[in-house]
Amino acid sequence: MANARILAVDDSPTILEMIKAILVSGGYDVITAVDGNEALDKARTEMPDLILLDVMLPGLDGYRVCRLLKFDQKYKSIPIIMLTAKTEEQSMATGIRTGANQYLTKPIEPEKLLSAVADELAKVSG
Amino acid sequence: MAEPLSNLSKDLTAEQFARFRDWIHEHSGIYLEETRVDALRISLVARATRFGFSDYHDYFELLVADETEFNELMNLVTINETSFFRFPAQFDALRDLVIPEVLEGKSKASHQFRVWSAGCSTGEEPYTIAMTLLDSALSAEAFRREVLGTDVSMQALDRARDAVYPARAIANLSQSVVQRWFEPVPGGHRPIKSVRDLVEFSYHNLVKEPYPLALLNNWDVIFCRNVTIYFRMESIRRVIDNFYESLNPGGYLFVGHSETLATVTDRFESVERGGVFLYRKPLRHRVFPAAGLGVSHAVPPLPMVRSRPGGVWSAPAPGEPAAPTVPRGARSAPGSSGGTAAPLGAGALTAEAQALLEQGRSGEALLMAARALELDERDADALLVRASAHADAGDFSAAIAEAEAAIAIDPLQASARYVLGIIRQQQGDLDAALREFGRALYVDPEFVLAHFNTANIHRARGEYEEACRGYEMTLRTLYVNPAGSWTAYLGGFRNDLLAKTCERSLIECRRGM
Repeated sequence: MANARILAVDDSPTILEMIKAILVSGGYDVITAVDGNEALDKARTEMPDLILLDVMLPGLDGYRVCRLLKFDQKYKSIPIIMLTAKTEEQSMATGIRTGANQYLTKPIEPEKLLSAVADELAKVSG
Repeated sequence: MAEPLSNLSKDLTAEQFARFRDWIHEHSGIYLEETRVDALRISLVARATRFGFSDYHDYFELLVADETEFNELMNLVTINETSFFRFPAQFDALRDLVIPEVLEGKSKASHQFRVWSAGCSTGEEPYTIAMTLLDSALSAEAFRREVLGTDVSMQALDRARDAVYPARAIANLSQSVVQRWFEPVPGGHRPIKSVRDLVEFSYHNLVKEPYPLALLNNWDVIFCRNVTIYFRMESIRRVIDNFYESLNPGGYLFVGHSETLATVTDRFESVERGGVFLYRKPLRHRVFPAAGLGVSHAVPPLPMVRSRPGGVWSAPAPGEPAAPTVPRGARSAPGSSGGTAAPLGAGALTAEAQALLEQGRSGEALLMAARALELDERDADALLVRASAHADAGDFSAAIAEAEAAIAIDPLQASARYVLGIIRQQQGDLDAALREFGRALYVDPEFVLAHFNTANIHRARGEYEEACRGYEMTLRTLYVNPAGSWTAYLGGFRNDLLAKTCERSLIECRRGM
C-alpha cells in the first residue's frame, strides 16, 4: 500500500522531523500534529490511513487520543501505533487497553517502525 | 620565549597544501579551496605543536594513522573559517554598546578610536570592523578611526591588502550589505574606499615578545578570536597579558564566541553586552559598589554586577569560577552540575531526574529535579530538566521560566538556549525559536540539533537556501561533534538517522530552490 497517508504525532519538533523522514523514505505521505488536540482534529478531518502516536503529549495525552478515536465508529478502523519511551509493562498494558494496534518503545529503530507500519496497513487492506 | 613553531611557522608549500587538502577531501568530503590555505596552516600548527612535531610531514603521518586526531584537526579547520561579519552579534555589540560606552569614558582631549584585529588572516575581520565603525556613533563625532590588522602570514596579509574577495566570500551577506560596503572589481568584490582607508595591515607574531611599542598602548578595542584554541596555556596567558597592557582603561577585548578567559586571567572584568560575552579592562580607581569590592589584583576573579539593562552575569560566591569554562564540544552534559562545586548528591539527583524525563515520567522528573535544587539551587541542569518536563506537560510559561533561570546561572549553556528554542517552536513562535537556536549556536557552534531545527524552520517556510545551509551545518557539526551534550535531546535516535534525514532534506530543499 504505497502512498498511504500517515499522521505522525509528537510534541518534539526534532523527533517529529526524524519520524517524518523515516516514513517518507518508506514511500508514505506524511501529515503531522504536535499535540493531542491537533492529533484529534487532523485524524477527523484528514482521515489518515494510519496514526503514529506519541504517548507523551501536552494537554490530551496519547492514550486519551487513542481511546477517543477507537471509541468512535467512524475512526476506529484507523490503525494506531503508539510510540513511547516508557518501558514498564504497565504502560504497555495501558496502551493495549486503550485500543492501540501496536506499541513501539523509543528509541525507535527505523526498520522496526517501517515494518510495523507495513504490517498494520497490510491488515487493513487485506 | 616564542612558541616552538620551527618549520611549521613557514607557509605551506603548494605541494604540502595539496597533500592535506586531498586527504581531508577524501576522508571528510570537505574540499578546502586555495583561499583556505591559511586556515589549514594555522590548524596544522596548532595540532602539530601539541605532539612536538617540527614539520608538516610528521604530522601528516599521524593524521593518516589516527582517526581521532583527524577529527581534532577538522574541528579547527572548520572553526577557523574567516568571513565578513562572522558572528554578527559581536559587531552589533561593538556598534551599539561598546563604542558608545567607550566614547562616554573618553577624555575630551582624545579624538581617536583605535581597534586592533589580532590574527586577522586575509582581512575579513578588520574590514568588517571598519564597516562597523563607519556605522556607529563615531561618525557623528569627529573621531579619527583606525583599524590595524596583524597576522603572522605574509601571504595572508598580501591578500588582505589586495582586498579582492571572490564571490564565495560575500555569498553569505545580504544584498544590502554587499551594495553598501563593496564594489565589484575584476576577480570579485572589494570593500569600498572609505572602508579600506581606515584599515592598515602589519606583520606581527602574537607569541613573540617583546611587542613593538606601537602595539603596546592606546587601543580601545582588540579583537582576537580563537587564540585560546590555537595556543598553549602558557602562551595564551602572555598574549592576554599583552592585550591587557595594550588596552586603554575601559577598553574591550573580543574573544571567540566559545572562549572564556576565566582560567587564564583575573585582570579583566567579564561582562555581557547585548548577549555577547566580552572582557573589559577596568577603569582606574573605579569602585564597583554593586560587588562591594574595589578592583584589585588580589581579589579572586569576580565578574562585576552592573545595573545596565540587557543582562549581565551575577557575581558568583567567592571561590567559584568567574565564568563557566567552555571547553569546546565538552559542555556539561545533562546530569553534571553547571560547573560549580555542587554539594554531594545534587548531581546524582539531577541525573536521576534526567533519566525519569527520558522515560517519559515527567511528573516524577519534576519532583526529583526539585530535590536536586534543594541541595544546590544553582544546579542549572536540574532547572533544565524541569523546563523540559513542564514543556512535556504543555506548561510553556513555566518551562520558559525554568530555562531562563538556568541561563541566568550559566549563560554559556547551549542546552538551555536550545530547550528555550524548542519551547518557542512548540508555541508556534518560529522567529523567537530561530533567535534562541542562534543563541545556542553562538555559545556552542557545534550544538548539532540547533542547526537541525533552524534548518527545519527555514524549510517549512520555503526558505530553501537558508535551510540548505542549516542542513549542511548539521552534517558538518555532526561530523566533528558526534557525542556532544546535544545528543541528550535526540530522543534516543541514532546519529546516522539524523544524518540521513539531513541528506534527504538537503536534496529536497535543493529541488525546491
